[in-house]
Amino acid sequence: MQIDMRNIRKTFFGAPVLKGVDFCVHSGEIHALLGENGAGKSTLMNILYGLYKPDDGTITIDGEEVSIEDPRDALSQGIGMVHQHFQLVNTLTVSENITLGLRETGYPFSKRKLIDQRIKELSETFGLDVDPAKLIKGLSVGERQRIEIMKLLYRSAKIFILDEPTAVLSPPEVESFFNVLRELRNAGNGVVIITHKIGEVMQISDRVTVLRDGEGVLQSRLEDTNEHELSKAMIGRTLTQREHEIRSIDVTSPRLVLQDVTIHDGKLSLLQNLSISIAPGEIMGIAGVDGNGQQELAEAIIGIRKLSSGTITFNGNKVDGRSIIDRMNNGMGYIPADRHNDAILLPMNLNQNLLLKKHLDPNYLNHHFLKRKKAESTTKNLIKEFFIKTPSENTAIRYLSGGNQQKFVLARELDSDLQLLIAFQPTRGLDLGATDFIQSQLLDLANRGVSILLISTDLQEIISLSDRIAVLYKGENMGILENDDQLDIALVGAMMGGKRLENQ
Amino acid sequence: MNDTALLVTNLLFASVRMAAPLTFAGIGESVSQTSGVLNIGVEGMMLGGAFTCFLVTTYTNSFLLGILAGMLVGLLFGTLHALICVTAKQDQTISGLAINFFVLGLTSFFFLVLFGQASTLPDIKTLPVVPLPLLSKIPILGPAFFSHDLLTYVLYIVIILTTIFLKKTDYGIQLIAVGENPMAADTSGIPVKRLRYFASMFNGLMCGLAGSYMMIVQFGFYIENITAGRGYIALAAVTLGRRNPVAIFFVSLLIGLTEGVQFTLQSLGVPIPSQVFSMMPYLVAVIVLLFSIGRSNDPSALGVPYDRQERS
Repeated sequence: MQIDMRNIRKTFFGAPVLKGVDFCVHSGEIHALLGENGAGKSTLMNILYGLYKPDDGTITIDGEEVSIEDPRDALSQGIGMVHQHFQLVNTLTVSENITLGLRETGYPFSKRKLIDQRIKELSETFGLDVDPAKLIKGLSVGERQRIEIMKLLYRSAKIFILDEPTAVLSPPEVESFFNVLRELRNAGNGVVIITHKIGEVMQISDRVTVLRDGEGVLQSRLEDTNEHELSKAMIGRTLTQREHEIRSIDVTSPRLVLQDVTIHDGKLSLLQNLSISIAPGEIMGIAGVDGNGQQELAEAIIGIRKLSSGTITFNGNKVDGRSIIDRMNNGMGYIPADRHNDAILLPMNLNQNLLLKKHLDPNYLNHHFLKRKKAESTTKNLIKEFFIKTPSENTAIRYLSGGNQQKFVLARELDSDLQLLIAFQPTRGLDLGATDFIQSQLLDLANRGVSILLISTDLQEIISLSDRIAVLYKGENMGILENDDQLDIALVGAMMGGKRLENQ
Repeated sequence: MNDTALLVTNLLFASVRMAAPLTFAGIGESVSQTSGVLNIGVEGMMLGGAFTCFLVTTYTNSFLLGILAGMLVGLLFGTLHALICVTAKQDQTISGLAINFFVLGLTSFFFLVLFGQASTLPDIKTLPVVPLPLLSKIPILGPAFFSHDLLTYVLYIVIILTTIFLKKTDYGIQLIAVGENPMAADTSGIPVKRLRYFASMFNGLMCGLAGSYMMIVQFGFYIENITAGRGYIALAAVTLGRRNPVAIFFVSLLIGLTEGVQFTLQSLGVPIPSQVFSMMPYLVAVIVLLFSIGRSNDPSALGVPYDRQERS
């Protein structure tokens, strides 16, 4: 089976996302679709899967032109897709999810036993471990991903499109996941893996297509290319790796101390006896796969979440129980991971977004009335200082690129007497230029004596910035490592998968 | 049969009659909500169904035509709601409210035009009681539950069929998927909009049936705003019964029972104001809702229109 997409174009709200892209994939290969965030990879594949309609272009399967109206069409042609955000129904069982929308024997009174039998067979053939009777609610992301793939297998898909499949997996899980992909390929299927990680492309793919700004810039067999060429194609210039600089930090008098911090949600424990401390000027990196307590940790320190037990001390004072505003007034700053929901109001302009943080600051108030002029001049200064690209300070922040929005969020936090900054995924979804800028700012900040808690799922980022690294797994601290030239990256990877550091 | 047993039987019998329209409407609403379409226009759709059923029965003397007409009007409003909420993707609460007020005004107007000059309240015959063989002979419960008219037996059948539909068939699974994660349903090839239309139209049919039941079983006459908030009580029953048809029936029975107790006590001359009892269903609803805080099992996409092209 061979699929050819020719000259695909797509525009969203007037902005061209795909500018005439060619792409082809055939049975028996693992094809990497490489590109930065916003390059159009997912959009291109969503078109192949019938979720979006292309404005222009043709799709042919084995030489015959087809029109794919919706995912059902795609599936009937043998094309299946696993999205980055899993498309599973939480309140149904694994088996019900796998056969969702299918007409099995006995429909509409499907014979569950027969179905479960077949799921077990497939699960053994491809080494995908799933339990058909369990509810999706309560399953780990790894399990959910296996179910998504099983869903496609069950529908006899021949081409598997996987959108950033490794983003939610720990390094050991990635290994076994790649084995599943190889099994799929060896059984004669085609696999498309959407990714922005060049290392993954080198490790797993047979062929690679690189997208940049909605254009196909490179298509090649893996053996005919190399990492250097790929990174150049992907970002348009050569990638320079940030070297980790080993700094000596005086950790004898820590500024922030978490002692046995535990957070329960009902019976579920989100954080379990977490103890860490950060010294002035230190960058403490928190590594871990997404969803292992990072959100709770950040929110506990800034005061959004109540502790079930344990204490948080800041500059020697107990802060748990104190309000968020109180903590911020005492020098805490927070860059949330979910920029659009937790940091800014998209329809409001930069001034208003600045006031979102400053509206209680006496410097911006005149007898309870806001000093708009003052806010405007501050915003203007921040735009200049942080090279924020915007038409004006009165532009709604939604029209800024993600990188410029994030620069603004950082700038707003830095425009105060900061002593501790919680930077949660500060460069998520940003292009390399913006990432570099934000990371330099964080290092600058640390050199000026600010303590930084850097929570990131990007291990590379953690390693290049942190002085010490703690690893979160299922809400527990797997151990704290010095980030010096002795650092064992494989060990960090294993800890992200649940290995506990000995002698701690 | 002694007096207490008779009293209990009579109370239960009255409860069933009270509960039936609530359950019809509640079952419709459950199916609609399961698919993710919230419809608070139940009250208006019941009222529209009741008025139409009354009119048609008055002029044709046919129960069947009356019921069918009532259901047809319900179906129309169910379709309208789907058009507004599913196709036009507008706010479901506003649409429901609009239906309630629109129907209240419309029915009151036509009632005045058609019957405003009449000196006596127009009335229609009600359905005859048909005791079921054997079942109606069960002591106490038999006469209470199985000595009713045909439409009440239709209710029992509807309860059983919708339970099977929701819990045992693939359609039920698809409906849950559409309400819980429409994107997942869509990518699995389930026609999200079609199912939501179906659910909303079914809800309309059931509300029309509920209104018709009130006319040709419960009351036999029509006055302005005769549903008097029963649609809202049905909504409460749906929430309390967690969208389970059997549970909704029992919740409705409980609500019906409080009204039955009220009538009984009044006829016995007990000096408790009737308003106290009118409060009961709501009081029960509020208390039960208080106790179920944090245990909501609402479909995740309840009230949210589905848009495939929307980027998140």
